[in-house]
Amino acid sequence: MAVWDLSVIVEDLGVDAPPLTIGVTSDLHIGGVILKLVEKTQIKRDWSDHALWWEQKQQWLLRTAWTLEKCGIHADARLVFMPQHKPLRLGLPNGITLRLRASFSSPVFHTVLEICKMLNIRHPEELSLLRPLEEKKKKKDKDSVEEIYDLTEVPLTSVSQPCLYNGMPAHFADSPKTEAVYKMLSVTLQPPAPEAIAKLYRPASVVDKAHINSRWLDSSRSLMQQGIRDNDRLWLRFKYFAFHDMEPKYDAVRLTQLYEQARWSILLEDIDCTEEEMMLFGALQYHISKVSQSEPQMLTSSAAMDDLESALQCLEVKMEGESSSASEMLENMTAPVLNDYLKIFRPKRLTLKGYKQYWFKFQDTSISYFKSKEESIGEPIQQINLKGCEVAPDVNVAAQKFLIRLLIPAPEGMNEVYLRCENEQQYAQWMAACRLASKGKTLADSSFQSEIESIRTFLAMQKTNSGSQGNAPTDDSINTHSLVSPRYHKKYKAKQLTPRILEAYQNVAQLSLTDALMRFLQIWQALPDFGISYVVVRFKGSRKDEVLGIAPNRLIRIDLGVGDVVKTWRYNNMRQWNVNWDIRQVAIEFDGNVNIAFSCVTADCKIVHEFIGGYIFMSTRSREKGNTLNEELFHKLTGGHEAL
Amino acid sequence: MDDIDAMFSDLLGEMDLLTQSLGVETVPPASPSTSTKELNFSIGFTDLNESLNELEDNDLDALMADLVADLSATEEKLAAEMGTQKEPSPPPQHLPPPPLGLSTLPAPTLDSPTSPERSGGSRLSSPASSAASLSPPPPPQKSKPSKEDIEAQIKADKIKLALEKLKEAKVKKLVVKVLMNDGSSKTLMVDERQTVREVLDNLFEKTHCDCNVDWSLCETNPELQLERGFEDHENLVEPLSAWTRDSENKVLFQERQDKYEVFKNPQNYYLWKKNKKALQEIKDRDKELLIQENFCGTSIIVPDLEGALYLKEDGKKSWKQRLFQLRASGIYYVPKGKSKSSRDLVCFVQFDNVNVYYGKDFKSKYKAPTDFCFVLKHPQIQKESQYIKYLCCDDASSLNLWVTGIRIAKYGVAMYENYKTAMKKAAVTSVWTNRSTPSSSNQSTPSPTIKGKALGQANGHATKPEPGPVSKDFGNASPAPPPPPPPPLNEILPPPPPDPVLPPPPPSLPAKKTSPLPTNFPPPPPAMDSLPPPPLPPPVEDTSEAPPDFLPPPPPAAGFGSLPPPPPMMNSLPPPPPPACFGGVDQSLPPPPPDPGFLPPPPPQMLQGGGAGAPPPPPPPPPPPVAAPRAAIQPAGSVKKMPPPPPKRTTPSLHGGGGGGGGGGGDFMSELMKAMQKKRSDQ
Repeated sequence: MAVWDLSVIVEDLGVDAPPLTIGVTSDLHIGGVILKLVEKTQIKRDWSDHALWWEQKQQWLLRTAWTLEKCGIHADARLVFMPQHKPLRLGLPNGITLRLRASFSSPVFHTVLEICKMLNIRHPEELSLLRPLEEKKKKKDKDSVEEIYDLTEVPLTSVSQPCLYNGMPAHFADSPKTEAVYKMLSVTLQPPAPEAIAKLYRPASVVDKAHINSRWLDSSRSLMQQGIRDNDRLWLRFKYFAFHDMEPKYDAVRLTQLYEQARWSILLEDIDCTEEEMMLFGALQYHISKVSQSEPQMLTSSAAMDDLESALQCLEVKMEGESSSASEMLENMTAPVLNDYLKIFRPKRLTLKGYKQYWFKFQDTSISYFKSKEESIGEPIQQINLKGCEVAPDVNVAAQKFLIRLLIPAPEGMNEVYLRCENEQQYAQWMAACRLASKGKTLADSSFQSEIESIRTFLAMQKTNSGSQGNAPTDDSINTHSLVSPRYHKKYKAKQLTPRILEAYQNVAQLSLTDALMRFLQIWQALPDFGISYVVVRFKGSRKDEVLGIAPNRLIRIDLGVGDVVKTWRYNNMRQWNVNWDIRQVAIEFDGNVNIAFSCVTADCKIVHEFIGGYIFMSTRSREKGNTLNEELFHKLTGGHEAL
Repeated sequence: MDDIDAMFSDLLGEMDLLTQSLGVETVPPASPSTSTKELNFSIGFTDLNESLNELEDNDLDALMADLVADLSATEEKLAAEMGTQKEPSPPPQHLPPPPLGLSTLPAPTLDSPTSPERSGGSRLSSPASSAASLSPPPPPQKSKPSKEDIEAQIKADKIKLALEKLKEAKVKKLVVKVLMNDGSSKTLMVDERQTVREVLDNLFEKTHCDCNVDWSLCETNPELQLERGFEDHENLVEPLSAWTRDSENKVLFQERQDKYEVFKNPQNYYLWKKNKKALQEIKDRDKELLIQENFCGTSIIVPDLEGALYLKEDGKKSWKQRLFQLRASGIYYVPKGKSKSSRDLVCFVQFDNVNVYYGKDFKSKYKAPTDFCFVLKHPQIQKESQYIKYLCCDDASSLNLWVTGIRIAKYGVAMYENYKTAMKKAAVTSVWTNRSTPSSSNQSTPSPTIKGKALGQANGHATKPEPGPVSKDFGNASPAPPPPPPPPLNEILPPPPPDPVLPPPPPSLPAKKTSPLPTNFPPPPPAMDSLPPPPLPPPVEDTSEAPPDFLPPPPPAAGFGSLPPPPPMMNSLPPPPPPACFGGVDQSLPPPPPDPGFLPPPPPQMLQGGGAGAPPPPPPPPPPPVAAPRAAIQPAGSVKKMPPPPPKRTTPSLHGGGGGGGGGGGDFMSELMKAMQKKRSDQ
């Protein structure tokens, strides 16, 4: 058989190096070609990850047993010999960019699988890659030098077995550097600066949101095939909003990244919520950032030591307490009391009486007040039980106004009472006591001190906010504007926002880090628009564009103009769906002879097809099946004609 | 609680030992007919005293807890009965004069020992009741006044200590009258840790209904014309505590379709926008899927509700239509001229501090556009107030959607858990309700007699406690308490008031008991009657409510599955055992049965019988432990009472001694009373 020359570019020789030319016959198989190439380069190294990429056809030649003839390669073919795993800059949901080696030759689905394995994220089928928004490169400021966490050194082979070492996968425990990366992955980040939020792109309409979905990569084709090159930027995001088997114990990274994605979707108004919900999200973010800072991470190697230390501290406190007489201690434990002069005001119709000062006593869950300290032994003027009441702050630090507003339930309705405190210290104590009492807890409750602390922190925030903005924020203070979407930056000043968030904060202040994360995710998932991915489509027989919402359990037809839901179809009523790849139309048949068909306007119909198939795949997962992921089924459901 | 349970079983074990040692002899003493009761009692006390000596403080605590619980139970019961007396049929509660609140139970019931104020009424009653219990012993006392004061003092101290500990572990208990569908009622004691689910289980055992998942407890507020089904996971005591003293609110036991409808037909809530026909044809598999999606995920999904509702404007009689939206975080409305987008919504109410109620007949009361109204209010608000939010729907189905939707938003996954538990319960109970049914019929007969007595007592009692819940009463009470104990003892039977008190509780027992031993039964009632003067009045009503219900033990019965009528068994068992144990002998002795009726003592007898080798006895002992887990304190309390009686029997041989013991008992009791009084006044 005739020998002909095949020229191959070997990437490792450099960009400018001329192609290597080798003599081949048509019946030489790809493996043979590679062998000859490697010999020709005379470089001794591990070539096992390398493969041939056929540039004109945009495809990998991965079947090494196939002959050149079978592959259809002739002398004019432009082949590149290069590694299948190349560095990729990967934007994570938390906004951090990682640099790691990813497979450019396997289907994106599998590439994501590998990435997630390395990052220790379970259920990688829920994630995928998408092209980032084009960044405006106008300003070549510091941002272009953004910090990149490099994981390219992590040997890929070691990733196969995700055994835990020091609470993290072994491949992260190799060096302090990678340990730091893992920490970054598994610990929530501090709230971003409000300016940073404002600078980011926010979808203003459903159509904008639909455009985001046009950027998902095709799961059944490789990165190379989709025009991604080394060191390109991609985003890793949760794509299917059906989170299976969430287990905080194993899912540190997954949970953290999901939280970050949820947080950003709220901050950027990717998903709509009400003002009250926004305040609660703000409060949870505040709490999470605070707790994740202070709580010793279980992941750090010294976790055990920290535990021990805190245990010792507890012990010390106890011992100290014991120094006083036993009865005294008992007294302290059973009946902590707050006593002070405060001013009270009970708004009633037609009264203009102002605040009156009394001697107040806070015991158990009740407030009693007396004319004066001296008379406090007798019967109080009034005793108010705060259990079940509503407590709201009315504070202005600058004006030195420290009001506690109490709405106390009584058979006849709610009684409104204002307590006025003199200073921050007093306010923090009494406010904390009122809060606890409203939940039926007494001052003896262990959360009393932390409640006081958090109130102080909030007061501090108000101070810094109202003060000059130039001050570098202290550790304690977070600009409340960084907890809510920019819409509220305009609507409220920080000092107006603080009490609102504080109000919501009372209900979550006692949550542990994990619980707070979970709560955030729960509230996020309970939003009416949660989990809907939008695509602009044109229904068959319709003259106008409409929006198709793809949710984990249903398809939603939405009027583009008004935003009303026109119709919903549930997947479990779906008989079949087809894609006519020639006219790019998706046709779906539901029970009861309901047929719909549409063409896709903002996204390729492959993306829609993948969403639908993907969700159906997600619903086939079950706890019993364990962790084996049925890759084949996924491709069957999402691949379309290309998979076959 | 575990501790108490443990102590309790210890106590029982000890009793067992005592009884066994004396078991043989017991039989003869019982025979003395009329006097027997007294004797037994006295004996019981002696033994009690002895055993008290043996007991560790812990045990003493436990015992005290039971005693106190019983006392308070009696008081409350009395109060409740008083209420019932006046108005037999449904809400006897209002009847009771001013303090009526008490009759309704909630308020006063709290911890009788702890709260002095409340006890204004209760105090009196408590001494009385204690006296009543003592009443039987009186005769013996005379015989034996010899007991050492010192010992008594020590005891008193211990009791004081016990009371103090009690105070720490104060558990609020209410006697709750539950109205049945048929207009009758049941009274039961509920402690604050009990969930509605547990109370329902209790009621299942007492009513022999079909136990389906729709059975609910609900509260009605006639003043506001509101009604709400309690959720199974709620603690019953808490909402009831919010009732005012003069409240006419009631607790109903009824089947409510809407309770778990969302789990039976989730499509009607989650797919309500679809056409009805399609929804009817929905497959079971799809229903399950809906439940999975909405209740089994990381987050509970609230039905997507949005629509125009009428809102009653503050303080006006007009209703204004608004577009409302239900979200997990609350109800919102769309302000005029704004879009429906989330960010423009205005929060109308959040659910943390409000409950949702059905409004009844608002069309005429508030001129509502329709009668399909619901209300959101803080549970403590009991009267008209601007803080109550009134909403009105177009039709019944929309009302159902909203109320259920709000419940889902408020209670979340707890509702689904409740449903699953209810389903399990329904499956299990249906089996043994059938078994137990026979016993129920028996109950009716005995109960009436008891009631008569109870009423008489109640009346006497009622006057005292009710009028003076306040300090005045207190004053009276305080002196009274110490005296009462002695009087009964010395006076013997004459002091009717105290006696009556006792009868009520016992009756309940006897009633149940009757079923097993019909023959015995007849005697007890007569005996009872003889003692308490006026049993006649309102037997009918009483029958329905008071006696049987009192026994919280029923739950324990479940443990006895092996025995034919499990729930009734518990109650029924105590009495029967004595006779049963002694076989023919017992029957010959009419007195014994009555005794059991009076006092819980019978159960102990049971134990003894067990020692004797009688087959029936063995079962009883097990129950107590079983009961403990479920009903917690209550069962224990009931059981404990029983223990004392056994000793009586055992001691029979020592009649004289018994008398002495009785005297000791008297002292002891009086000390106890004093201690309690002190306790109260200290408070």
